[in-house]
Amino acid sequence: MQSLSIISVNIWQILISFANLAILTWIIKKFLFKPVKKVLDSRRETIDSAYARAETAEAEAEEHRKNYAAAMAAAKQTTDQMISDAAREAERRGSEIEGEARERAQEIRRQAELDAQQELRKAEDEMKHEIADISAKLTGKLLEREIQPEDHRELIDSFLQELDG
Amino acid sequence: MSEEKRGRDARFRRVDGLLIALMILPLLCCIALKVLYTPESQGVDISGAMIFLEIPFPLQPLIISESQVNSWAVILTLLGLCLYLTHGLTERAETKRQLAAEWIVEKCEGLVSMNMGERYAGYEYLIAAIMGLSALSSLSCLIGLFAPTGDVNVTAGWAILVFVLITRQKLAGGFLNYLKGFTEPIPLFTPMNFISEFSTPVSMAFRHYGNVMSGAVISALLGAALGGLSRLLLGWIPVVGSIPLLQIGLPAIFSIYFDVFSGLMQAFIFAMLTMLNVSGAFPQEAWEKRQQKKTIRKQRAALAKG
Repeated sequence: MQSLSIISVNIWQILISFANLAILTWIIKKFLFKPVKKVLDSRRETIDSAYARAETAEAEAEEHRKNYAAAMAAAKQTTDQMISDAAREAERRGSEIEGEARERAQEIRRQAELDAQQELRKAEDEMKHEIADISAKLTGKLLEREIQPEDHRELIDSFLQELDG
Repeated sequence: MSEEKRGRDARFRRVDGLLIALMILPLLCCIALKVLYTPESQGVDISGAMIFLEIPFPLQPLIISESQVNSWAVILTLLGLCLYLTHGLTERAETKRQLAAEWIVEKCEGLVSMNMGERYAGYEYLIAAIMGLSALSSLSCLIGLFAPTGDVNVTAGWAILVFVLITRQKLAGGFLNYLKGFTEPIPLFTPMNFISEFSTPVSMAFRHYGNVMSGAVISALLGAALGGLSRLLLGWIPVVGSIPLLQIGLPAIFSIYFDVFSGLMQAFIFAMLTMLNVSGAFPQEAWEKRQQKKTIRKQRAALAKG
């Protein structure tokens, strides 16, 4: 088998080599770079969409949190309102009851005073009567002993007047 | 479900096997060809590639030699490698080979965008092809094949492809600009510019070829010398003397430098020179100026229309 000499230039061999490199370039492009780039692109897309989804989810969560906080604040305001209303109502009722009680107490007291005055007058009247009786009896007895009615009349009247006064 | 999955796995493995066969078989065929056709030789034999086929053609006969056949085998191997690496790509990168494929793609893109700039996107295919073809061609001598890069015709073909791309880049600035480029900085330089223009592909071709070929020559010389030394020193021992014992070891160490290191280095250098020469053909500033001019012309046209 013949060999080429160590340096020999053959235009067809050069052309073959030229074509070889061109073909290999095409092969590399078609069978290595294209599929790998496709996978890389689709991976980037997946990652981007995942990020986008995460961001929207985060925004949604933030919105939910805000809504929740607002609802909580509203609820707290309502309860505060209710508590203060109830307290005011209770105070009002309390003072009402107190006023009523005081009124009643005064009425009772007035009644009691009235009763007491009546009793007193009654007692005075009774005492007057008794005194009159006693004086009449006393007068009768005196009259029985020494009859000088004119003198004693004067005496008794003045005595009664003193009692009245 | 699991039955189906197992079936898919089996098919996946079968395809893998085929692809691995596609990677290995061409090289094995080349070894077989080499073993069948190598003539019995004595002593130091330094020659080029073996000729398998010679067809009469105009200008020169079309010669199919070892370097062509080995190149094709390397291309088939690279095709098999590409298909193997991209077999079963998924979005989540479940296999190591996918990581390797992505690493290769990203490194090539990074190298091109770093050395050439963004506007040369698309050159990464060529750079990857040059690196793969050159490196694997040079490394094919490790399995006893004739390295195609040790043939000047092979590297010359690549260099001419690069030259075509350089010229295409230069022509992007307009044909007159291209011609004017030869008269710079002064018209007196025109012949020298012509020489430097054509010396680029020649130097690229010869640099690569010379490095690989000289490595092969030195390896052959070293092997022959160690064989002779072995015969001289140990030839008197009855049985052992017939075995060239000194050829064990030292050639392997030299081979690591001349075949592995030098081969990979030259592949990288060829790719780097391609990138620098192509991107230097039509510099960034000139390109930007041209783009500016274009936009101004467009604006003027729009104004004239409006």
